Amino acid sequence: MARSVVDPLTRIEGHLRVEVEVNDGVVTDAWVSGGLYRGMETILLDRRPSDAFFVAQRICGVCPISHGHASTMSTEDALGVTIPNNARLVRNLIEAAQYIHSHILWFYTLAALDYVDPVKALSADIADTYALAQAAGTGVSDFGAVAKRLQAFVDNGQLSIFTNGWFGHPAYAEDMPAELHLIAVAHYLEALEMQAVAAEIIAVMGGKFPHFMTSIPGGTAFVPTEQKLDDILFRFIKLRDWVTSTMIPDTLAIAPFYAGALEYGGGHGNFLAWGVFNDESFEMTSRYLPGGAVMASRGLTVADPDPGNITEYVERSWYDSTTGLNPSVGETNANFDEYSTDAQYSWVKAPRYDGQPMEAGPLSRMLVAYLRGVRPVQEIVDGALAALGAAGKPEVLVSLLGRIAARNLETKVVCDWSIDWFNELAGAIAGGDSKYFEPHDVDAGQGAGMWEAPRGALGHFIDIQGGKIARYQVVTPSTWDTSSRDDEGVRGPMEEALVGTPIIDAERPLEACRVARSFDP
Amino acid sequence: MSHPAHYREAHPLIFVFTHWINLIAIVALAFSGFYIHYPFFGGFMGVARGMHFFFMYVLLINLAVRIVATFFVKSATRLGTREVDTDIKNWLPQKLNRHQFIPWLKYYLFLKKDHPIGAKYGVLQKISYLFTIPLTLAAAYTGFSIYAPFMDASFFAAGTDWVGGPMNMRIIHYYIMWAFILFTAIHAYLANVEGIAPSRLIFAWKEEEGVQFDAEGKIVGGAGHY
Amino acid sequence: MAHEDHDVIYDLLAARGVSRRDFLKYCGSIAALLGLSESFVPQIAAAVAAGAKLKPAVWLNGGACTGCTESIAQVDSPDVATIVLDLLSLDYIETLSMAQGEDALAAAEAVFEEPGYILIYEGSVMQGFDGNTLRIGGSTGIEELEHAAQNAAAIVAVGSCAVDGGFVRANPNPADATGVKPYLEKVGITTPVVNLPTCPVNPEWVVAIVVDVLLLGSLESGAILDKLDDWGRPKFIFGQTIHDNCPRRGHFENGHFVNEFGTEEEALGYCLYKVGCKGPQTYTNCPIVRWNRRASWCVESGAPCIGCGSLNWVDVGAPFLNRHRDLPLPSVGNTQPGVVAGVVAGATALGLGLHALGMKASGRMDGGAPYEDMKNYDRKRMKKGGGN
Repeated sequence: MARSVVDPLTRIEGHLRVEVEVNDGVVTDAWVSGGLYRGMETILLDRRPSDAFFVAQRICGVCPISHGHASTMSTEDALGVTIPNNARLVRNLIEAAQYIHSHILWFYTLAALDYVDPVKALSADIADTYALAQAAGTGVSDFGAVAKRLQAFVDNGQLSIFTNGWFGHPAYAEDMPAELHLIAVAHYLEALEMQAVAAEIIAVMGGKFPHFMTSIPGGTAFVPTEQKLDDILFRFIKLRDWVTSTMIPDTLAIAPFYAGALEYGGGHGNFLAWGVFNDESFEMTSRYLPGGAVMASRGLTVADPDPGNITEYVERSWYDSTTGLNPSVGETNANFDEYSTDAQYSWVKAPRYDGQPMEAGPLSRMLVAYLRGVRPVQEIVDGALAALGAAGKPEVLVSLLGRIAARNLETKVVCDWSIDWFNELAGAIAGGDSKYFEPHDVDAGQGAGMWEAPRGALGHFIDIQGGKIARYQVVTPSTWDTSSRDDEGVRGPMEEALVGTPIIDAERPLEACRVARSFDP
Repeated sequence: MSHPAHYREAHPLIFVFTHWINLIAIVALAFSGFYIHYPFFGGFMGVARGMHFFFMYVLLINLAVRIVATFFVKSATRLGTREVDTDIKNWLPQKLNRHQFIPWLKYYLFLKKDHPIGAKYGVLQKISYLFTIPLTLAAAYTGFSIYAPFMDASFFAAGTDWVGGPMNMRIIHYYIMWAFILFTAIHAYLANVEGIAPSRLIFAWKEEEGVQFDAEGKIVGGAGHY
Repeated sequence: MAHEDHDVIYDLLAARGVSRRDFLKYCGSIAALLGLSESFVPQIAAAVAAGAKLKPAVWLNGGACTGCTESIAQVDSPDVATIVLDLLSLDYIETLSMAQGEDALAAAEAVFEEPGYILIYEGSVMQGFDGNTLRIGGSTGIEELEHAAQNAAAIVAVGSCAVDGGFVRANPNPADATGVKPYLEKVGITTPVVNLPTCPVNPEWVVAIVVDVLLLGSLESGAILDKLDDWGRPKFIFGQTIHDNCPRRGHFENGHFVNEFGTEEEALGYCLYKVGCKGPQTYTNCPIVRWNRRASWCVESGAPCIGCGSLNWVDVGAPFLNRHRDLPLPSVGNTQPGVVAGVVAGATALGLGLHALGMKASGRMDGGAPYEDMKNYDRKRMKKGGGN
């Protein structure tokens, strides 16, 4: 029995420690520890509800849009405000831009280096690389120039962000051709440009990214003018085209070399989504990516989600708040004790739904949407399953590779919808609808903003009394996924997904890092 | 009825002017200041700011003139007399005033029935009038500290850092304006609650007969019961 | 490669202050890193000697949301790939490093051993629970910062959190957060700190400081310190207010204001002053450099500035949609200054009203009460000279 520790787990948002027990080359137990406590919920007390939007989004610098939206929705829910249709569309577009941004960034900038070895790309033949790109139907870059730049960089000897990378790790697919490595490196660089284009859309509509300004309670402060509309549209088209012609083919080209990842990394098999991208009804279950709960005990069926079913446990994390509370009456009393995997070991609470640990994220959303019969999702998932040789078997998605595929396919679906929402907004404006904000003057109420960050289900809970915030609680996707054990000792979703992961080199548990990172924590 | 006579010697003409200028400047500053704080109607910000800066200089220059004049101009030592002395003595609290402090306080709080003896200004009056000088200077300092052409000068920037940034400085400036408003309200009330002769004198320079005193404060004649 | 060539290289390196032994060790470690055999060492040596050595840098994340790292990925002049591949050797950055765990920390450690590197710090300095509100690699964030700061040539504190604790230190500051400069002053570390506030940091500024300023020699010459204000902020970035440079300033002077969000006035680009814009008291050049590769900035998209570049920006700026901050009154809680003024003014008016009733009731309204008898004291003093 050997303990393998990765601390810090790099290429994620925040500070995470992954500790696994490896027996005979397989992970048999795991502990995931969140390393940071800031106390956002306490900071918001006694402030104005309208301030929560600006401050609470700063929980996460990679998904501030979703936190901002969940926060503003919780306030609107508490005050009984329904936002105008144009504001709904503006918010969907900003949220979509963040999804596209976040998923591109995750796949290329954060995760790709677990599957692609830049040193291997050095031995690629340039002509073969073009041929392979053509055969794979993926984007063609100036591969020669990229190879030269890479060579010069390696020759220079200062490896910058690649310093101490696990080059040549045996877990990299041996049969993956050098040319595919080079294609991925070229697209790694292109992706840096594309994620920035997506962020520009947020800047146009929200002022800046990260941390945006306009989705204030009541609607939006952004009033699109003709000159802004084209700034938005041409960027969405550029992104849709790139995701379609590069990101999706890259995914399908690399996936077969890691088909083994369909066999592990699934976890508990419980999935939770509150849903994201509102339609005109603002109902959680009729969102473009609808809300739902899938429980392993009931197989691949979906139930309507209910925030009332959440309880948060804290016995294994560094809090002395009451354990087992619903977040609408939740508490946050930090109290650090030493790190011990036998006792308390994380700043992350343990949320449970109907008492069960739930995975949140693109896989949850895509499964729920698939099961609810959302057409574009069914089509793209069925197509991908066929390409992976698992036609008609959506259950294989409950795996490491499935989690990655779900995220990348979702990117494509959201890209397509973004054009639809844009057209809907442009049509409404052309039709004379100029309402973007709903004034309100109620000063008390309780509300919840149930939404989805790119990395999963997100809930903000607010209690407003006398125009001030009397209670504020947040349950983030990372709280679901990197949850510590609950009071019963049941592992969190990431911990459970890690169990069963094959590890070739316990000193350098690359496979465990892949599983942890696949949650985009 | 023991209304003292109000003679022009109490407020020589120059002080009628400086008082008028103070009134106009403070009203203009308060109005434009409120507008700048929150523009309650449209289209006036440029004018409001212009007013605010102009009258700020008017108020400061007027204060300087008033202070210089106080050393050269003679004014009546008390109401109801034409005896005069250097104005600064009538403005600054004198030793004599010290024991008048409590009786005046008691009088205002209805704890004392009859009118205490006092100079041209009661002792509380002297203190509060004197207080308007630092108040004006503080308004100017805090105002300059949030006024772009001056805010970066180290004399002002150091103060801004000390109070915790421009927002706090703005709030202090705002409260100083409220202090002026409250001063003016109390001042106007106390000056006129026993009759509007003081206003007739300071604004229109009109005299009114009443109880007459000699320079030593002894009642020497005039109408009214005493 | 011939033996003579080696000597040429070593001479070159010696001229740059690198010993033969260090150099071979360095090349050997690169070869090991790349999984190459020792036979590659001479080749790497030649390549390194050919290229100028990049300034090593380490990017540490304190109590951060990673937004500043995100932000630095949103710059195109130069773009982030050029920065980390061609301009700086950013050997450790949690969010981008290929390495992980101990190997990643070892890369940072290697940099810390050679004085003269640039340290970039993102996020608040977390002091709560003896620093355990932030745990990295088994130790605390403050231990990591102190260790990293010792040998750094300069520290660039990116984002308001690194400058003074940012939103994390807002009242009641539950995690006892502070900024890099105040923390280092507290523990007596004198490494110069360049502060770049706003939430997140504007990447244009990071590039301007790291690339244009630090790499162009003003770090060695110390000239960078002359460019900083009392708070350690570069004056050429933080010397003017947003209001000074705002494209909506004309509307402000004209008295054209947005009275409510989402209205025609918003579409016309009127001034956001009435809905709480903190531009007049926020010192950054956002309206000039703008955000996200000049796509827009807060005010251009219709939102009032929330003053995220001010010190203690949440306490000083909230409520963000009001003109004034709240005052944290004991036992009352956060209160608007205008409310306090209104209460005091109301109390004064009430007091004067009651007093007037008393004056009326006591018959003093018409000329006041009769004069008291002159006391001996008055008489004596007045005779001595004046009754002023």
